[in-house]
Amino acid sequence: MKTSSEKPGLFAASFAAVARAIASAVGLVRTHPWLSATSVVGFCAVIAVCTLALTLERPPLHVVQTGFRGTGMQAVFNDHDLLAEARLQHADAPLPAVQLAGRPASEVYKNVKVLGAVDANEFLRLMAAMTQWVAPATGCAFCHSLNNMADDSSYNKIVARRMLQMTADINRDWKAHVGEGGVTCQTCHRGETIPSGAWFVQPAPYGTRGLTEADSGQNIVSPVAGLTSLPYDPLTPFLLQANPIRVTPTSALPSGGVRPSINQTDWTYALMIHFSDSLGVNCTFCHNTRAFEEWDQSTPHRVTAWHGISMVRAINRTYMNSLVGVFPRAMRGPLGDEAKVSCDSCHAGAYKPFFGASTLSAYPALSQVSQDWTPPAAPGGAAP
Amino acid sequence: MLENRARLKDRPGGIEYQNLFNRVQIEGPLHPGPPLAAGSEPRSFRPAFSWLLGVIGSNQVGPFYLGKLGIASLICGFIAFEIIGLNMFASVGWDPVQFVRQLFWLGLQPPAPSWGLRIPPLNQGGWWLMAGFFLTAAILLWWVRVYRRARALGMGTHVAWAFASAIWLYLVDGFLRPLLMGSWSEGVPFGIFPHLDWTASISIRYGNLYYNPFHMLSIVFLYGSTLLFAMHGGTILATSRYWAEREVELAVDRGTAVERGALFWRWVMGFNATFESIHRWALWFAILCTLTGGIGILLTGTVVDNWYLWGVKHGFAPQYPRVYAPITDPGYLRGSVAQP
Amino acid sequence: MSMLNYEPKYRVRGGTLVGGDLFDFWAGPFYVGFFGVTTIFFTLIGVSLILWAASLGPTWNVWRISIAPPDLKYGLALAPLREGGLWQLITVCAVGAFVSWDLRMIEIARKLGMGLHTPIAFACAITAYVTLEVIRPVLMGAWGNAFPYGIISHLDWVSNIGYQYLQFHYNPAHMIAVTFFFTTTFILAMHGGVILSSLNPPAGEEVKEGAHEDAFFRDLIAYSIGPLGIHRLGWFCAMNAGLWSALCILLSGPFWTRGWPEWWSWWLNLPFWK
Repeated sequence: MKTSSEKPGLFAASFAAVARAIASAVGLVRTHPWLSATSVVGFCAVIAVCTLALTLERPPLHVVQTGFRGTGMQAVFNDHDLLAEARLQHADAPLPAVQLAGRPASEVYKNVKVLGAVDANEFLRLMAAMTQWVAPATGCAFCHSLNNMADDSSYNKIVARRMLQMTADINRDWKAHVGEGGVTCQTCHRGETIPSGAWFVQPAPYGTRGLTEADSGQNIVSPVAGLTSLPYDPLTPFLLQANPIRVTPTSALPSGGVRPSINQTDWTYALMIHFSDSLGVNCTFCHNTRAFEEWDQSTPHRVTAWHGISMVRAINRTYMNSLVGVFPRAMRGPLGDEAKVSCDSCHAGAYKPFFGASTLSAYPALSQVSQDWTPPAAPGGAAP
Repeated sequence: MLENRARLKDRPGGIEYQNLFNRVQIEGPLHPGPPLAAGSEPRSFRPAFSWLLGVIGSNQVGPFYLGKLGIASLICGFIAFEIIGLNMFASVGWDPVQFVRQLFWLGLQPPAPSWGLRIPPLNQGGWWLMAGFFLTAAILLWWVRVYRRARALGMGTHVAWAFASAIWLYLVDGFLRPLLMGSWSEGVPFGIFPHLDWTASISIRYGNLYYNPFHMLSIVFLYGSTLLFAMHGGTILATSRYWAEREVELAVDRGTAVERGALFWRWVMGFNATFESIHRWALWFAILCTLTGGIGILLTGTVVDNWYLWGVKHGFAPQYPRVYAPITDPGYLRGSVAQP
Repeated sequence: MSMLNYEPKYRVRGGTLVGGDLFDFWAGPFYVGFFGVTTIFFTLIGVSLILWAASLGPTWNVWRISIAPPDLKYGLALAPLREGGLWQLITVCAVGAFVSWDLRMIEIARKLGMGLHTPIAFACAITAYVTLEVIRPVLMGAWGNAFPYGIISHLDWVSNIGYQYLQFHYNPAHMIAVTFFFTTTFILAMHGGVILSSLNPPAGEEVKEGAHEDAFFRDLIAYSIGPLGIHRLGWFCAMNAGLWSALCILLSGPFWTRGWPEWWSWWLNLPFWK
């Protein structure tokens, strides 16, 4: 029996060095009069626990049942969050009603293209409301030349016309998603010229990397997917393009045809987390997660959301994309694409925008929008 | 039935019975270990004392048997570790701050589904294959080592076979199932959060792994193993004042520790294991955890596509009272498959 | 018949916590004691209630039976028996039976001059159960936040509770709990394996003892925690598996309502790299 006790190798030497360092640290702990291993470890543990406790929330809670009792289908809200959210989700009171002028805006004002059929006084009221909704800081000048209100030189005015058409379209054709409450400019804008939920196609954040692994679209922090390491841009394939979202098969045993991969599921999962975060809810708001795919076990919210996906795709492809040439380069994304909408654009963290409060009925002008649209002559560069 | 007239004399259950830490550490001669079988290399480094480890366990560290297999295994493991780590580092543009900040998020992804079982270029998943190869080589070499170390000491090879069961699950997850599915992309990415995302995604894709009966069994054996170790560890500690930890000696020559440990469980639940059989329970529970787990994963996607529906088909999915009016797929109403 | 040949000398009076000599007797191999009586009491009532509740349901298929807690609207009040009230009574019986069983283990340990390690470990498991069924529902304000009694239905509950926090695997306490479960199973395999391999050497070899067990793991991984230490480590890891599981679900809801991945924002936003 032989051990290499004479000359320790490099491995043994380094191990011994580490062991000596730990031993001397422990020796210090053991010898100092008022330091013991227990008290040091205990003190560190108390500090760590207190620090980590600060990262958490505190009761009380608000739990809403969304399925049969005992199935765990519940929306869970923290009351402190709800109070903060309620302040954010505050719809402006409608402007006071006005006496109708009896004449359409097109007869009173020059160059009224999409709101020409609206009563002239109602038109002015809507203009005032839009200023308050979209550009309260800049005022009318955000879209208009104050010397000549009919002037079309501001791209914002072109965008505003298209957005009015979009709003009317949503309220007319997408009732399955927005219901009778509908949307107004404020639903997205909320006093901001650029709605906070606007997004662009995301290029690989760390670029190409030669021989090392190319960007896989995931495995870095994904803010869109709730800080998971899931794909960081699940919006482009699903809310701009129309890639299939469904991944779970509807038969027990494998059958022929397309078989979605686990990797594809990552993308769907990322999109679904975006939905949840945008609405301030969780997966069980729409699904009984024991069988995500089963419509019969889902909640009615899933149907609403289903129409919402189609609606957002239509908005992005019909309306936002038509403006890519209108936005100046600085207003476009890193790849030159136009701003797009996501669930967050309208919902902003609430399961219904403004928790269901609606001022649409106070603005009948929003439904009297002409859908005539001439695509701009693409002065600012081509679409991506 | 009380068979004897005696009464418990001392007041039991005091702190002297509650063996928690070693209160005395003996720093006597270090044990070089029994001689190894012929053909073995010498053990590799001088044993040393560690006071800290001695608080709960043996205070002797080493010696260590490195051997050719050990060196080969460590080198393969190191290569795999470096491939994974350097690719992660590259994925944040070699930014050391972001590397630490996002470390849990970073990963090495298997090839995209479009590659199937073809060998992709290094930057398209080739590194993942290579890391998997070297990690597997390291693990298999280590398995041989576990087997041979037992034989070199003239012992049975039970630990090696338990390890083999764990390797089975590892191989199913990363190699055998992707092979059967015809796509490397089904394999597990390397990375802390990425592999957790994979775990969630495989369950979503294949219709809820909780309905996979082999997953159920695997969890049962996982919890069962934990229960067994709580029971066994607790029993040995509780009877350690009767030298219960000398399990092999007591298994061949019963002492009062064995009798008390056995009677404890007999009186609690009407049944007791022996000092040998408890270790058979232990080994089998642990082995079956990964064995059944591996079977469950291997069947997922290859034999069963949706475990929940499989559960419905075989009549074990509960039915809950309806709380909403019937809901149907709005995609059917529109008659368009292109809808979401 | 029911006694082992060495058993009579261990069957002595004394060591009980409650009831003095009154219940200090055995029935077959089982020790009874005061807490044996309460265990039987709670178990019989609890099982009867389970059967009653199951008979109200649509099925006797053992996989499909589910006895659900009340709707959230009942809060922490008593619910009608058929709408979760039975669940409430069953829970009372379950806690009563589990705690009785644990106290009975203490009495038996005292009788045999043993430490209290096993009842302490079992208390950790009870803690996890009570956390799920009592403490967390109370903190969340309704019994309806507890899990249902059913073999598959409790899995459905686990699924939905997990997805309430979008990706539950990112729950740090869950990560630690799972790590403890895996570690416990891992070291159980190593411990069970090394004892069996010492007791069952190849043909022609003698049975090996402690020195060989230590040498095997020292040769393999440079350290053997030793025959006493492995039981400490296993006992400690097993208890921690239960306790961290309890913590991970206790945090989910009362102390965290968003997706668990979002919890990690504190790390991502630490001042020196934000």
